[in-house]
Amino acid sequence: MESRTFILKHVLPVSRVERYWKGLEEGKIYGTRCKSCGASFYPPQADCSFCYSSDVEWVEVGGEGVVECFTRIQRPPQGFEFAGSGYTITVARFGEFKVMGWFKGEGLPKVGMRVKAETGRDESGVWKVYFVPT
Amino acid sequence: MRVGVIGVGCSKFGVRRDVTLQEIAFEAVKEAVVDAGVSREDIELSVVGTAGTRSYELMPAVPVNEYCGFAGRGPLRVEAACATGSAAVYAAYSSIKAGLVDVAIAIGCEKMTEVDTATSLAVGGRGGSYLWEFHQYGTTFPGHYAMHASAHMARYGTTEKQMAMVAVKNHRNAARNPKAHFQKEITLEEALASSYVAYPLRLFDCSPISDGAAAAILASEKKIKELGVDNPVWISGVGYSSDTANLSRRKDYGGLMATVAASRMAYKMAGIDNPLKQLDVASVHDCFTIAEIMAYEDLGFCRKGEGGRFIEDGGSDFGGHIPVNTFGGLKAKGHPLGATGVAMVYEVVKQLREEAGSLQVDLKNYRGLTHNIGGTGHFGWVFVFEV
Ligand SMILES: [Zn+2]
Repeated sequence: MESRTFILKHVLPVSRVERYWKGLEEGKIYGTRCKSCGASFYPPQADCSFCYSSDVEWVEVGGEGVVECFTRIQRPPQGFEFAGSGYTITVARFGEFKVMGWFKGEGLPKVGMRVKAETGRDESGVWKVYFVPT
Repeated sequence: MRVGVIGVGCSKFGVRRDVTLQEIAFEAVKEAVVDAGVSREDIELSVVGTAGTRSYELMPAVPVNEYCGFAGRGPLRVEAACATGSAAVYAAYSSIKAGLVDVAIAIGCEKMTEVDTATSLAVGGRGGSYLWEFHQYGTTFPGHYAMHASAHMARYGTTEKQMAMVAVKNHRNAARNPKAHFQKEITLEEALASSYVAYPLRLFDCSPISDGAAAAILASEKKIKELGVDNPVWISGVGYSSDTANLSRRKDYGGLMATVAASRMAYKMAGIDNPLKQLDVASVHDCFTIAEIMAYEDLGFCRKGEGGRFIEDGGSDFGGHIPVNTFGGLKAKGHPLGATGVAMVYEVVKQLREEAGSLQVDLKNYRGLTHNIGGTGHFGWVFVFEV
């Protein structure tokens, strides 16, 4: 037998990190830094998990990043059917921030490869970070 | 006062379209109750560990608890992703340790095949921080470990062949375990010819999507004497840890900090300073082959970066330094999330009671270990058992 259809779709509260999502539309990537203890956060967050201050500043992530790890997803999950033959998830370090993104270069990246970050929308309309080799 | 395991049970793992979640849990519970030689009424607290979502029963603890005859005693429902079973064992253990109850049962159960593979991947891929990972980048559970594999390979020279060797060993063990999902050996060539699921992990590097259940009955030392149980397996070490939800916030991708911290905590409690010399068997978290290689290192079976050589040299095989995943591991025995941690207890208890049949290890110390990870080091649990 089959169960009744059950659709799960959530509303995402993003108002406290709105700057991040606006930033992506402007080609900028932001993290946050706690003004009280200096802890930095990427992904950005409005509260400091370490000293409990909620006084954080927005800091642009920029410059050249170094790839720390990656994978090429060959079996996409539900919700990523649009990605067809797959996509390459990469984590790169940009100074105090480590950033996740999709690799846009030819073939696969390499651990240690230097990249720069761009922003853009995927085919499903979600804004994200892309990496291209420098 | 010590806490001991007095009974264990485990269902047949695999694609179990024949049973509901409560029915598969029943198989394990019944075996554990018979094994313990207690009556259902002796059990004062039931803990139901199930990660959930992939099964149609979205609030599963109560139906499972009722079906197993424990209505009115619990259920305490716990969830710790793939380490759910260990969290259930801990809840039972700590309730007894605190003196609240004398006998408790940890039931780990999972039905994972009631949804299709793409849906299952979409549930597992939400195992970190949804908004910043799955929503934006479509992370999957194989992908999480594949990212660690890419770093491990780059830094330590670990090869796809070494990872495949873990699969071959665990399939060889599972072939002799009638409860395993895959009771079939594979060759290195087959493993290396399988297609990539998430580069650099191939299909044969991944544990299957399995249904299954396991149960463990724990009791206080006082109650064990009172009941006259003659084969208790004592819990002598307990360790737990965790790490960031966001993978991008990890310091390092060459290992799992949660394993290092949890094992050191458990070793300290159990008085272990040389795990290879003091343990006879280990059931470690091999949801992907790279996970077993990292576990050798993070548990202190070998130095960091030498996990690939450890499998290559047969260190984790029967007759090696320490037999690892003697019942086939998550890789081949199967990985029904909630059941996994409890099934590890089942394996180590069977080994320490010398009831493992053709998969029996040689016992010198009469001490074994379970290592259960939730997510990608999002949760880490280690238990040490001894007789
Ligand atoms: Zn702070």
